[in-house]
Amino acid sequence: MKLFPTLFSANARVTPFGDASARLDAGRMGMWIFLAVLALLFLSAIFGYLFVRIENAATWMQGSPPPPPAILLSSTAALLLSSWTMHCALRAAQRGDKTQGKWMLATLALALLFLVLQAFAWVQLIQLHLTNPFTTGLYAWMFYVLTGLHALHVFGGLVPLCATTARARRCEYGPNDFGGALYTAMYWHFLDGAWIVLYITLLLGSSS
Amino acid sequence: MTTLTPSGHAASTDNYLTFTRGIKSWMFTLDHKRIGVMYLISVLASFFVGGLFALIVRTKLLTPGEVTWIDADQYNQAFTLHGAIMVFLVIIPSIPGALGNFVLPIMLGAKDVAFPRLNLFSYYLWITGALLSVYALLAGGFDTGWTFYTPYSTSTETAGVIPVVMGVFVLGFSSIFTGLNFVVTIHKLRPPGMTWFRMPLLLWALYATALIQVLATPVLGITLLLLIIERAFGIGIFDPGMGGDPVLFQHFFWFYSHPAVYIMILPGMGIISEIIAVHSHRQIFGYRFIAFSSIAIAVFSFLVWGHHMFTSGQSPLMNVVFSFITFSVAIPSAIKVFNWLATLYKGAIALNTAMLYGLAFMFLFTIGGLTGLPLGTLNTDIHLHDTYFVVAHFHYVMMGSALIAMIGGIHHWWPKMFGVMFSEFWGRIGCTLVFVGFNVAFFTQFMLGSQGMPRRYYQYQPEFQTYHIVSTMGAYCMALGFFLTGAYLLHSLFFGKKAPANPWGGRSLEWQCTSPPPHDNFSTTPSVGNPYDFSDLRWNEAEQGYEVDPNAAPAKDTH
Repeated sequence: MKLFPTLFSANARVTPFGDASARLDAGRMGMWIFLAVLALLFLSAIFGYLFVRIENAATWMQGSPPPPPAILLSSTAALLLSSWTMHCALRAAQRGDKTQGKWMLATLALALLFLVLQAFAWVQLIQLHLTNPFTTGLYAWMFYVLTGLHALHVFGGLVPLCATTARARRCEYGPNDFGGALYTAMYWHFLDGAWIVLYITLLLGSSS
Repeated sequence: MTTLTPSGHAASTDNYLTFTRGIKSWMFTLDHKRIGVMYLISVLASFFVGGLFALIVRTKLLTPGEVTWIDADQYNQAFTLHGAIMVFLVIIPSIPGALGNFVLPIMLGAKDVAFPRLNLFSYYLWITGALLSVYALLAGGFDTGWTFYTPYSTSTETAGVIPVVMGVFVLGFSSIFTGLNFVVTIHKLRPPGMTWFRMPLLLWALYATALIQVLATPVLGITLLLLIIERAFGIGIFDPGMGGDPVLFQHFFWFYSHPAVYIMILPGMGIISEIIAVHSHRQIFGYRFIAFSSIAIAVFSFLVWGHHMFTSGQSPLMNVVFSFITFSVAIPSAIKVFNWLATLYKGAIALNTAMLYGLAFMFLFTIGGLTGLPLGTLNTDIHLHDTYFVVAHFHYVMMGSALIAMIGGIHHWWPKMFGVMFSEFWGRIGCTLVFVGFNVAFFTQFMLGSQGMPRRYYQYQPEFQTYHIVSTMGAYCMALGFFLTGAYLLHSLFFGKKAPANPWGGRSLEWQCTSPPPHDNFSTTPSVGNPYDFSDLRWNEAEQGYEVDPNAAPAKDTH
């Protein structure tokens, strides 16, 4: 942090808000807008998917397998569970409870499990029928693009999740200071919702 | 140590420029004013480079046939670079990033934007995007045109396409974070008394702009991401041979890029509202109409993208709907122009440099807006599509309006930003050269286009040469005006007279703090009133600036 003295020094003006609750209020609004941005990103991708899916209604699934259901159901379960553990972590953080670290750690573990399962889904899809993924059709590619886009956001979310987990492990969050945990939790629930929408779209898209 | 400013506010003699020293104090600053200045320098440097490419293009077009010093491929790269630099590195970030960052919190009465660290992050995202664009140039350049249309952008052999598209993707996020910051700042940092209808109109315009930045840019993000994947792996989403559709790219691209036109023009309109009111010392006419027309333009901006695609083969019904909605944009645009005109009526108009730019904007924007009508009309658009008529039209809006407003804004706030006055004499000459040069360069292109000269062509029929020569002469005249402007502004930094707190007689809050402003903007909470009531100002000969007359009747909100 010595490299960036003005960014992290206690004397630096890192916020124009006079009190913590006003700052949290603004942070929450900023986070909602950021999530709206990400929602539009995913919705545009889904729109693109539906556009080419509808244009190729007759040939879309010709000779192609549906996405591997068992693995995707497991990864969905892992992500849903991580949303619940994140909810518990935030509640604990807001109370200043000592369990906040454990819940955050559980969320982190489930996030990693989700990514591993998604990778398995990719590998299985490639092994099953798509021997050379670089020359296969639009159907498979759109699966990779949509799930890859989501996985990248989960992967990116690991950075704030690791940071909040470290702070929660030291029990640093309390009733007057839980902004970091709140913003990470909002992001995490969004990823959960985005995945449900994506998964349903992919399921419907791969039924003939 | 403190001094008393002309408006009676105690302020530190230490200002934001000298508050801390050293390169690191700038590189890692969280001060919105310094970040605004850094944006200003970066954007103007890009403007210089983009302008050079424009001059290369115009110089080539002096000759109808091949020339030895630039071949067709290099020409394609030159106009692509000109367009991409001017759109993504200059016009989109110019007013929000540079002037918006500098004046928004002060005009609002706040210490800073809501998220200062995010603000600095936005700036470095801009730098990253710019560096990726430079890398694209070194890696082999790109010749796709600034629109990156498929299938050409996925098949061209120029190696710089992926890096520049990544650069634009990053620049998009810079724009999103600036917009996010402004929305939250305006919602959460208005001091007591600063109601929505006491906000200067620039803030309404920046708010409307920020909404578009936040809501439209993600669509560009996914478009560019898909383009990168398509080009790198050939997935086929834009390739009809593999089940994809190139028109999908156009829908995606224009769903962002048409609103982006309003990202460029709306803040310019906000600046003009300030310039016209302050330099004619007249209560702005139709405050609420101007404010709500900004929001109306923001809403309309999302509903008209299809008018870029009348010849793409989209359904005739869609063409009719998009054409109809396109005409509707004329209503909020005209509301603004008529209100500015009404503001000028019986005003005490100071024909200084900033005001000249303001008047130039009104003239050029009117031409730009009106020439949009034949392009929004389906039958005439078939004839004019992809001709120089389109080039002239969007230059009147994007350059003649947005950029002229930016330069007018620089002159308006220059004394506030740097605490010095520039030469009004040279300012007026510079503005005249730019205005005359601009019209000579681009009005000619309306005629070229209506007679059938296609855009982006390296060679052309000899009968167009006279028009091209005239247009190029106009471009040179404009370049001379800009060089002159750069010269006297730089000169003022070192030799300019010290600026008073309120040189023009403005009433919005930035004129209440010293020039340049102190680090924290205001030493005491400023008193908020009607930003366009100039009745209680008086000229102070000793300060060479305006001050509030303590004996005047209290200001009233009349809008």
